[in-house]
Amino acid sequence: MARVYPILKVTVIVLWSAFVIAPFLWALTTSFKTANGVTGGPTYIPFVDYEPSAAAWQGLFGGGGGSIDIAGPFASSMVVTLSASIVSLVLGTLAAYGLSRFSYKAGPIGNGDLTFFFVSQRIMPPVVLAIPFFLMLGWLGLLDTIAGLVIVYVALLLPIAVWVMVDFFNTIPRELDETAMIDGCTPFETFWRVILPNSVPGLVVAGIFCIIFGWNDFFFAFTLTFTQTQLLPVAIVSLNSSVTPWWSLSASALISVAPLIVIAFFVERYLDKGSIGGRK
Amino acid sequence: MARITLERLGHAYNRRDGTPNYALHPLDLVWEDGGTYALLGPSGCGKSTMLNIVSGLLTPSEGRVLIDGHDMTGTSVAQRNIAQVFQFPVVYPSKTVYENLAFPLRCRNMGNREVDRRVNEIAELLNLDTILQRPARKLTPDAKQLISLGRGLVRDDVAVILMDEPLTVIDPQLKFHLRRKLKDISARHGHTLVYVTHDQNEAMTLAEQVIVMDNGRIAQVGTPQELFENPTHSHVGYFIGSPSMNFLPVSAKNGKLNVAGQTVASGNVDGGDADNLVLGIRPEFVDIVPINTPMSLRANLSEIQDLGTYQIVTARLGNGPLLRVKAKSFNGVVGQEMALHLAPEWMRIFSDGKRVNAQVEQ
Repeated sequence: MARVYPILKVTVIVLWSAFVIAPFLWALTTSFKTANGVTGGPTYIPFVDYEPSAAAWQGLFGGGGGSIDIAGPFASSMVVTLSASIVSLVLGTLAAYGLSRFSYKAGPIGNGDLTFFFVSQRIMPPVVLAIPFFLMLGWLGLLDTIAGLVIVYVALLLPIAVWVMVDFFNTIPRELDETAMIDGCTPFETFWRVILPNSVPGLVVAGIFCIIFGWNDFFFAFTLTFTQTQLLPVAIVSLNSSVTPWWSLSASALISVAPLIVIAFFVERYLDKGSIGGRK
Repeated sequence: MARITLERLGHAYNRRDGTPNYALHPLDLVWEDGGTYALLGPSGCGKSTMLNIVSGLLTPSEGRVLIDGHDMTGTSVAQRNIAQVFQFPVVYPSKTVYENLAFPLRCRNMGNREVDRRVNEIAELLNLDTILQRPARKLTPDAKQLISLGRGLVRDDVAVILMDEPLTVIDPQLKFHLRRKLKDISARHGHTLVYVTHDQNEAMTLAEQVIVMDNGRIAQVGTPQELFENPTHSHVGYFIGSPSMNFLPVSAKNGKLNVAGQTVASGNVDGGDADNLVLGIRPEFVDIVPINTPMSLRANLSEIQDLGTYQIVTARLGNGPLLRVKAKSFNGVVGQEMALHLAPEWMRIFSDGKRVNAQVEQ
């Protein structure tokens, strides 16, 4: 009886891993195939089942007669996502600290309402926001620019940062702030010298959410850009034509997932750290 | 070092209907420079509220806090130069023990060399000198609590050290050790020390003056001996002493004091004859005497608790109240009849919870 649980656990993990990894393997093999390799029924093993070709990969970087270079959109996506995430994280962390530690009151509106106001931005369907964003960026002359996209993405990511960080700060005992103030810190020094150094796990989680949502956004990248600026998700979709180029789509999908996988490896160790409460 | 004066200080939360709900009723209190004080009372009696108002973490709804005669009621926590140690040890988890102790000095932009000198001095005093480079978050609760204390001691501008039940989470063995260390340090440095606790032994051993609180009010301020011998409030008699004071309904009539229909002493109570009084007497001052001794109380044995060095004998008066006696070695069968003698000089008479003067004799 005691052995049932470990066996069950391993079985489930193996099955789940296969479920998660299989699409990646599928994309990987497909990306090295030509049109013949894809249409001739399922094949898996290179050199035996099919003849591998790097044509799809070369095509993505302007080589092999391909008409696009994915490096540009990749870099744009990088710049937009990172800038927007950093701005959101800085503003969001400051806002969250305020919402967690100080009481605000304007008539019947209190801290809880303010926090909900931030979070509620994510409840709205993106379509509702598309037209206002389009018009406002138009007035500012920022349509089809990196700067315009950064502004829009900050609006999208800030609620996530605030939400995650308010929750995180609420897990840090208030006594830590009080002690810092008793030791002679101003409220800002308390935040900067005591609370922030202990907030790395929260910042990591908030940062990851910002990067994932920013990196994967297609809708606003699509509606707010035309020709000058192109982000990666839009570039990938535009590869499509009357004959679906599965090989290029697979290769580009892998490229777009790669940065997230790299990040996941680096920050994994922070994710299992619980709260830092001193009450154990 | 400083003298702290609380002037008509009170704190109330407003109820729904707008009437104030006092956590701390307006009171006046002075903590002299260099004195050691204990705030003693059950949970929720306003002790911590008072402490947080003094340190500035809480703004009082009325009254003023004076430090050395200066009104500090509206100033920020950092400006008051107060050290406070909380019930749960607080260390800065991201810093080493050394940096924890140095932090208050760093906040004051003190030079590295001076910081180093003071941190080492305090670390030695608290026996933390061997673990200075360890991360503070990995220490035991008592070591953490020493660090909290050290952060207060490392500064020389501290007006007062406030401690809010600092030994609650500490092992009983270490508690004893830490308590002695605290007393030692406060005696040596002459800090003004205010110590909040609900443990009477802690209050009695640490403080020169004990402030007993009840329901947001001060019940009595006095030395441990005064509180033990002359409680001015039945709450103090109940809260101080182990076991606590006995309280028996008593009536004063024609120069006699009667408990449960039996005369226990002759005497007069200020305010004249009354039959709704309460007689308080410590278990230490009740003796078990042979039956038929004059002025003794007839009772039935209800329980003997042997605590090793002494016994607590509980007896019931008729069908009425219970009376506890501290005895040396008493043997008996539950239910057996016995006689108790209450020492008249230790009888304290209360009316509505407050002490009233009475002349009592055998």
